[in-house]
Amino acid sequence: MAVGKNILRKDGYEKLTGAARYVDDVTLEGMLYGKTIRSRIARGRIKSIAYDAAFDWSQIVIADYRDIPGKNYVALIEDDQPLLAENEIRHYAEPILLIAAANKDLLEAAAHHIHIEYEQWSPVLSIEDALACREIIYGTDNIFKRFLIGRGDVEEGFAQAERIIEGEYRVPHQEQLYIEPQGMIAIPGNEAMTLMGSMQCPYYIHKAIKQLFHLNDEQVVVIQMTTGGGFGGKEEYPSVIAAHAALLAHKAQRPVKLIYDRAEDIAATPKRHPGVIRHRTGVRRDGRMVASEIDLVFDGGAYVTLTPVVLSRGVIHALGPYACDNVRIQARAIATNTPPNGAFRGFGAPQVAFAYEMQMEKIAAELGMDSLELRRINMLREGDTTATGQTLIWSVGSEEVLNEAVERANYQAQRLAFSQSHSSIQTSTTNHVEAHKRRGIGLSFFLHGAGFTGSGEAKMKAQAGIEIMANGHPRVLSGSTEIGQGTRTIFSQIVAEELSLDFSAVEIEEPDTSRVPDSGPTVASRTCMVVGRVVQMAAREVKAKLLHFVAERFAAPEVELREGKFMVAEKALADFQEMACEYVNLFGELRCFAHYASPPEIEWNEETYSGDAYPVYSWGAEVAEVEVDMDTYEVTVVRLTTAQDIGRAIHPLLAAGQIEGGTLQAVGYGLLEELVWDQGRIINNRLTNYIIPTALDAPDMETIIVEKAYPHGPFGAKGVGELPINGAAPAIAAAVFQATGAFLSEIPITPERLQAAIEKVTTDEHR
Amino acid sequence: MNAFEYASPTTKEQAVKLLGNSWTEAEVLAGGTDLLSLMKDHIVEPKRLVNIKSIKELGGIAGTAKSGLRIGALVTIQELLDHPRMRKEYAALVQAAEGISSPQIRNMGTIGGDLCQRPRCWYYRAGFGLLGTQESGEPLVPNGDNRYHAILGNSGAALFVNPSSLAPALIAMNARVKIYGAKGQREVALEKFFTAPTTGSQREYDLQPNELVTEIIVPPLARAKSATYEVRQKEALDWPLTTASVVLTMTGNTVKAARIVLGHVAPTPWRSTEAEAAIVGKAVSEATAEAAGKAAVEKAKALSKNGYKIQLAKVAVKRAILLAAKGGTR
Repeated sequence: MAVGKNILRKDGYEKLTGAARYVDDVTLEGMLYGKTIRSRIARGRIKSIAYDAAFDWSQIVIADYRDIPGKNYVALIEDDQPLLAENEIRHYAEPILLIAAANKDLLEAAAHHIHIEYEQWSPVLSIEDALACREIIYGTDNIFKRFLIGRGDVEEGFAQAERIIEGEYRVPHQEQLYIEPQGMIAIPGNEAMTLMGSMQCPYYIHKAIKQLFHLNDEQVVVIQMTTGGGFGGKEEYPSVIAAHAALLAHKAQRPVKLIYDRAEDIAATPKRHPGVIRHRTGVRRDGRMVASEIDLVFDGGAYVTLTPVVLSRGVIHALGPYACDNVRIQARAIATNTPPNGAFRGFGAPQVAFAYEMQMEKIAAELGMDSLELRRINMLREGDTTATGQTLIWSVGSEEVLNEAVERANYQAQRLAFSQSHSSIQTSTTNHVEAHKRRGIGLSFFLHGAGFTGSGEAKMKAQAGIEIMANGHPRVLSGSTEIGQGTRTIFSQIVAEELSLDFSAVEIEEPDTSRVPDSGPTVASRTCMVVGRVVQMAAREVKAKLLHFVAERFAAPEVELREGKFMVAEKALADFQEMACEYVNLFGELRCFAHYASPPEIEWNEETYSGDAYPVYSWGAEVAEVEVDMDTYEVTVVRLTTAQDIGRAIHPLLAAGQIEGGTLQAVGYGLLEELVWDQGRIINNRLTNYIIPTALDAPDMETIIVEKAYPHGPFGAKGVGELPINGAAPAIAAAVFQATGAFLSEIPITPERLQAAIEKVTTDEHR
Repeated sequence: MNAFEYASPTTKEQAVKLLGNSWTEAEVLAGGTDLLSLMKDHIVEPKRLVNIKSIKELGGIAGTAKSGLRIGALVTIQELLDHPRMRKEYAALVQAAEGISSPQIRNMGTIGGDLCQRPRCWYYRAGFGLLGTQESGEPLVPNGDNRYHAILGNSGAALFVNPSSLAPALIAMNARVKIYGAKGQREVALEKFFTAPTTGSQREYDLQPNELVTEIIVPPLARAKSATYEVRQKEALDWPLTTASVVLTMTGNTVKAARIVLGHVAPTPWRSTEAEAAIVGKAVSEATAEAAGKAAVEKAKALSKNGYKIQLAKVAVKRAILLAAKGGTR
């Protein structure tokens, strides 16, 4: 049995021994190095581009927008983002020119000899500026996209409410910070273009390159190389870098390698959307929510890119794992003159999770009730209905995760102990340093829709296949990429389990668009649950064909496949490999493909934004224990306990790794990570000053996996990739609230922000 | 990174000859932990690197309890930490060294490099020059994001903070620095070594382009009590937000003499004679340490976004005094 076992990961040995080849490890004959020349203003137009006459330009290949054979845009949702700026500049670090040379010294020298003059216009740099419409940079009102979710009668709900509680929450940009920066190699051919590099979604690049060069499906080949992390950052942006490399390669008629260094990568590529989220909640005195009005604004940056989809996930998750009969949620994404924001693990959900969980803390505080109790009163359970009107019919682990996290963290006893000890600790002078420390414990409760939103999966019809190789072993054909999360390993487990083979017998084809079908992008916690299911169905088809073949061959109607052998009752007829080889020899090949089909129970109305927003949800609860230095405002997370319902864990260790990694990334989101902007440019675009948690900053973590099987996932699996990033920031803020009395409505909780909040509490108390 | 010439002299005389007469010609390479990242980011673009790691006389720690210490400029942070006399006699220096970044950096980085590392100001590191200015010359820091910038000594053009981890402790210990250059040997008090530049082409320390720091002389400290207290946002791979190093000469619980130096609060390490005056003659207590902390920041002036650092500096001084009086262990 392969599923549920912690087998060695498929890609582990090569990565561990350094044998794995990343894009920057590849050097091709005659290859040039490329570089992007970017704008140094946030908004305006190009007045002139001058090339120093004294420099020898004959050794440099230069490309601008006029070299693009197709249309000058990056194919995503809208066609508003130019591949290279023509005249107008809409954000700092916007690509204007591309240059290539045989070595990097020459390339750097050439870059110094290009002078671009601009006419500067007043930029829009914040959500407030965009909404105020003093400058219009998109449409008539700077709004990229709006959504509205409505249910029940909100006015009636507020009329019934005994208390109305309002809160405004702010969340920042966050950088994905994959270890391997973005990089691509383009290889030109005769009416053809091959791209190889670091990416999550080969078929996105395929689509973008076809348009730009007027090429067809076969003429463009995209190959994913070993990829050093993505976290969403390599979802849409690799299309830009691939197109840039391809344009240079097309002009030079030589291969071109384009690799970003860390500073360029942080300055120019997409980030998590910052947001402002306002809640107005009507509750009865007993804590029951009777009306909820939420207004959510995300900053999309200069171009649309993926913003509408991020906003869509944000609006659907805005009420969190709670039931309320009267709901109105308004969501807007606005344009600013900053680099486009895009995909990052969680995709709109971590932003709203911070807001809905802090709102629960606020409601509990104002009602004078325990926030755990408040959550239990309002939480969604099986059979309940969400804000979009979706009735939860299966795999609802909400109660289990909440109970597990609370019990394992000893939450209630600790919370009581900390609240009683605060006054005594404060006056203690026995230990100089420790006297200033206060402890607190906080809780968060959250959900995450697995797979694409709404009818996304139904439209996508993800494909995957299995082929039998000459040696009789199965090979998985899928466009889903391994980005460290374990795609190769879990696909092998699913196929091995389905065909009752040893895990090592299963091979995974390289994600190469000339060899694998489009399984949809490697995003949205969909690889295991959605594509894994398609892989399982393809394996079932292989099995059915071979069973039929064997039954015919041995004239034995009741054949079964067990432990790699075809059996009739207890008698083994032949083993899998032998029969698979025989089949291939006889029929030429054995390849089976399957398509994803949404469960028939699922219905989504795109017009009214109502119905089954996701086929199923993953559920999580997290308890954070913190220590706060009341004089220096340093916050230390002492312990994190998290319980997450992800359906069946195909590989429990990898799943726990996803949970711990996502949780630590969320600790950074809540406590440390902040991009510092100055007039539209990021000034801390270095690893030394964009700080993320290290091993020493990682608290003790206890991870509990809850497995509420989902009937339409492979062996009951749901999504795990994104769920874990929703929980830590609000749990930490809740713990800081208990420890200090300061309610933080904005993250990250940096020392200066915490100082201001604590001083406000002190001032208010003295009033 | 630009192409450069690489020289590896074996004597300091050779090294000095290889260094140019202007800062743009050559850079000294020791541990390289700061220099290489500056070069990769095109912040400095020397035509030549002079590797001094082959100069034997720049290494080693020597001295006795009576004579104090002579620390070669090439001594790594880890060598410093491993030296048998350090923990007992120089607690403040050990605590400062332990705070440095990561084991990798402590194994490569040298004491001379720690003193001569360039500021961490993000405007400087993003290519806006040492003083952080627009191409037009307009300063960026006063109206920009200055949350980590200076709260003391910030009336001039330099608003960055000195990044050295060891300098506050060494200045508190009254260390001196030996410098060798084209004109021969000279020695200055480390306290006088650091300067606040007034133009972007100057350096933050009293060195000519063709001079080398060769060693650090630390007076005997066996009878003093010392400590360093750092406030930081992250446990590793980061610089502190504020530090304070104190050396106290005490009779019983009463302070006879004190040297108190703050780090990361001003363009140079910041000796606080106000804090010293506040604690000398007093018995160490929460109240007197607190008063010294207050005195240290009496003249502090916040920029637009770094007011919280005044509180951090106050607390760091207070806690360093209490820690030193306790005998240096936390």
